[in-house]
Amino acid sequence: MDLTVHVKKKLGTFFLDADFTVQGNSVGIFGPSGGGKSTLISLVAGLRHPDQGFISLDGETLFDSTRGLHMPPEHRRIGIVFQRPHLFPHLSVKSNLLFGYRRCDPRYRRITLDTLVQVMQIEHLLHRGVRHLSGGEKQRVAIGRAVLSNPRLLLMDEPLSAVDDSLKFQIISYLKKTCEAFDIPYLFISHALVEMRVMTDRVITLADGRVTGQVTAEGLARAEMGHAARYVNLIRLSSPRHINSLYAYRWGGGELLLSTDTGPEEGLFQLPSTDIILFKRHPEAISARNLLKCRVSELFETGGRVGVVLNYGGEQLVAVVVGESVRELDIAEGVEIYAAIKATAFRLLG
Amino acid sequence: MILGHSDYLAILLSLKVASVATILSLPFGFAVAYLMTYRRFRGIVVLDVIVNLPLTLPPVVIGYLLLLLLGQHGWVGRYVLQPLGIKLIFTWKAAVIATAVVGFPLMVRSIRTGMETIDQRLVQASRTLGAGWFDTIVTVIAPLSIRGLIAGSILMFARGLGEFGATIVVAGNIPGITQTIPLAIYEYVSSPRGDAIAIALCLISICISVAVLVFYEWLGRRMVRAD
Amino acid sequence: MKYALRAICFAFLITMLSALPARAGEINVSAAASLREAVTELTGTFAKNTPGTTFKNNLAASGSLAKQIVNGAPADIFFSANPEWMEYLKGKKLMDETNITTLAYNVLVFVGKPELKVKTMRDVVTLEKIAIGSPKSVPAGQYAADAFRKAGIEKQLENKLVMARDVRECLMYADRGDVSGAFVYKTDAEQMARNVKILFIVPQELYPRVTYPVGLTAAGSRKAEAGAFYRFLQSSDAKKILVKYGFIVK
Repeated sequence: MDLTVHVKKKLGTFFLDADFTVQGNSVGIFGPSGGGKSTLISLVAGLRHPDQGFISLDGETLFDSTRGLHMPPEHRRIGIVFQRPHLFPHLSVKSNLLFGYRRCDPRYRRITLDTLVQVMQIEHLLHRGVRHLSGGEKQRVAIGRAVLSNPRLLLMDEPLSAVDDSLKFQIISYLKKTCEAFDIPYLFISHALVEMRVMTDRVITLADGRVTGQVTAEGLARAEMGHAARYVNLIRLSSPRHINSLYAYRWGGGELLLSTDTGPEEGLFQLPSTDIILFKRHPEAISARNLLKCRVSELFETGGRVGVVLNYGGEQLVAVVVGESVRELDIAEGVEIYAAIKATAFRLLG
Repeated sequence: MILGHSDYLAILLSLKVASVATILSLPFGFAVAYLMTYRRFRGIVVLDVIVNLPLTLPPVVIGYLLLLLLGQHGWVGRYVLQPLGIKLIFTWKAAVIATAVVGFPLMVRSIRTGMETIDQRLVQASRTLGAGWFDTIVTVIAPLSIRGLIAGSILMFARGLGEFGATIVVAGNIPGITQTIPLAIYEYVSSPRGDAIAIALCLISICISVAVLVFYEWLGRRMVRAD
Repeated sequence: MKYALRAICFAFLITMLSALPARAGEINVSAAASLREAVTELTGTFAKNTPGTTFKNNLAASGSLAKQIVNGAPADIFFSANPEWMEYLKGKKLMDETNITTLAYNVLVFVGKPELKVKTMRDVVTLEKIAIGSPKSVPAGQYAADAFRKAGIEKQLENKLVMARDVRECLMYADRGDVSGAFVYKTDAEQMARNVKILFIVPQELYPRVTYPVGLTAAGSRKAEAGAFYRFLQSSDAKKILVKYGFIVK
């Protein structure tokens, strides 16, 4: 995707003045509630008219106020997934899915019902009415409907905020899997950092109606660390081995030991950076079950704290410490250091 | 049986005029309701006032205005109808027009109420999925407006059965052609010997109205249950 | 504030009270619609010559008037366009039987646009729509219906008849051009028609003679002024006025 947006829109007392150009396939729009993210999306989709400005996608002008050009939404081939599914209540699941497909120009019909249904695992829902589906099922159908219209860009406006926590990462994996499988670029809106980090590479930050920056998702996380004094490590683990009361996962230069009440788990885990304690020397005895010998690959300062990027056999961890600790422990790039992590510090996201 | 041939004709005519007026008004009612719900434009308030005017005007005034408009010397009568050789005044068509005009605001209101409950996001989703405005109307808005359409039709039909003031002015009291139940009752009410038949026709009128209203309630309940 | 409220209530009461009772010297006349101008002049002349008398004239179809009287509408004089409704009120004991007499006669005609080629009852059948008074309450309509039956054209005129509430409304329909023609009295046509003219006179053998009886009602017989007016109606001055408006008198 190659998207250029220069728009101004006044809504009551709120004024949106957004200027950005972005390339890539997994782009996010991040910012606090009320910042204008949804308005921006509706302008890109063509559901609303900017007061003035210019929007172009992949070289094609979608809106140009100087030339009086406004391409109506049905011609833009831009799909939207909203916060809530908004399925057509008078149509079956299958008809909902095929709604956009039927209206898609045959030469653009790459994605078909059969392949989509397999990827999203909704085959068993096809002939049901939409009223008796669960929330998660409905959102999957909504995503499927948007994807099946074969859009050249998929906009997702906080598609997970109305979904149960336990289902959120399930839906995220469907979203990512589907968009990657079918090569659909997307613009993902969220105010949740973890979602952003999982779904996107580049992120545009929007606050108070203005674009405040364009960073990588990782960069965003680091900047946010300065605001919230929190950085969460996202670690994908699989194939656990059961050892006594713990589970061991192969990761990086060795193994991670996790303790969970709910049995062996696989997937994406979160590990708060504040749960990583650094040792200059190997502590002889320590209660934490994980002691990793890492090399410091980078140091970055943000909001009065220091992020220490550790390399553990190719995998990356970020710990956060205060400035004094850096001086006391003589932490610098290239230095060897030990990271201690309790087995209970990990939490499965999904 | 107290009722004569022309009295039975009056009953049939009432049902026929009310039905035809309702069916003819449906597309216009839908179009107006759509414009008022989904489009912003200058003069929308004016349209709102004009559409609702028949609700507040005495039907006789509506009938007279229609007469002035469609009669031989009227603006539409002289320049449109006469050249085409169409005569509307004192015909069955005039009865239908009078009934349609009087009942139109009821239909528009019902359809609008139904349309306003349609989730806006559905319309937006439809547009982004490739459906233009007309496609969206036919495949999303109309099916979801069915309730309003039916409610509006029943209300208009019921109102049409009772239409008198506008009808007698613009369609006249012609047994067999425009004499609906209310017009027939009017004739009998002025006649010293007409009381028995007038009462009989009144009872029939009441029965029909009750039947329509019961049907309206039943339909409403059925639709709520279907949810 | 309180003073204004009291003043308004007072004014309201006065208006209400003054609207209700009939004043002494007031005569209520119920007359057939075809007599409108004649009755206006008759009552006007009498009122001028008899100070202290006022009239309330109620002009409508004779049948409607009869029903109103039966339902209690005030009437001292009833001037009908056919004997039927007079007999009807006599049967209900609402008339002073000793004070009923026939005052005038009329003739039924057919009016229409001058260009129309209509000269007989049979020709009428070719027209699209014609107006008659509702036979259920308008004598002119009853006379016309009788004529249709005698002329044998009743069936052919089905679905062509526009019912009017009195003979003047009938004429108005024809004048306006919304019907091809109308059956009215000769007097109506001669006085009021503007755009239409008499196309033919309905042959007398087809309908009973148009007869106008007039009488004192039971209520009217108790009013001296009403009795005086009734006698005036039979005077030669009154007859002159009737003749002036085209009615035939004895």
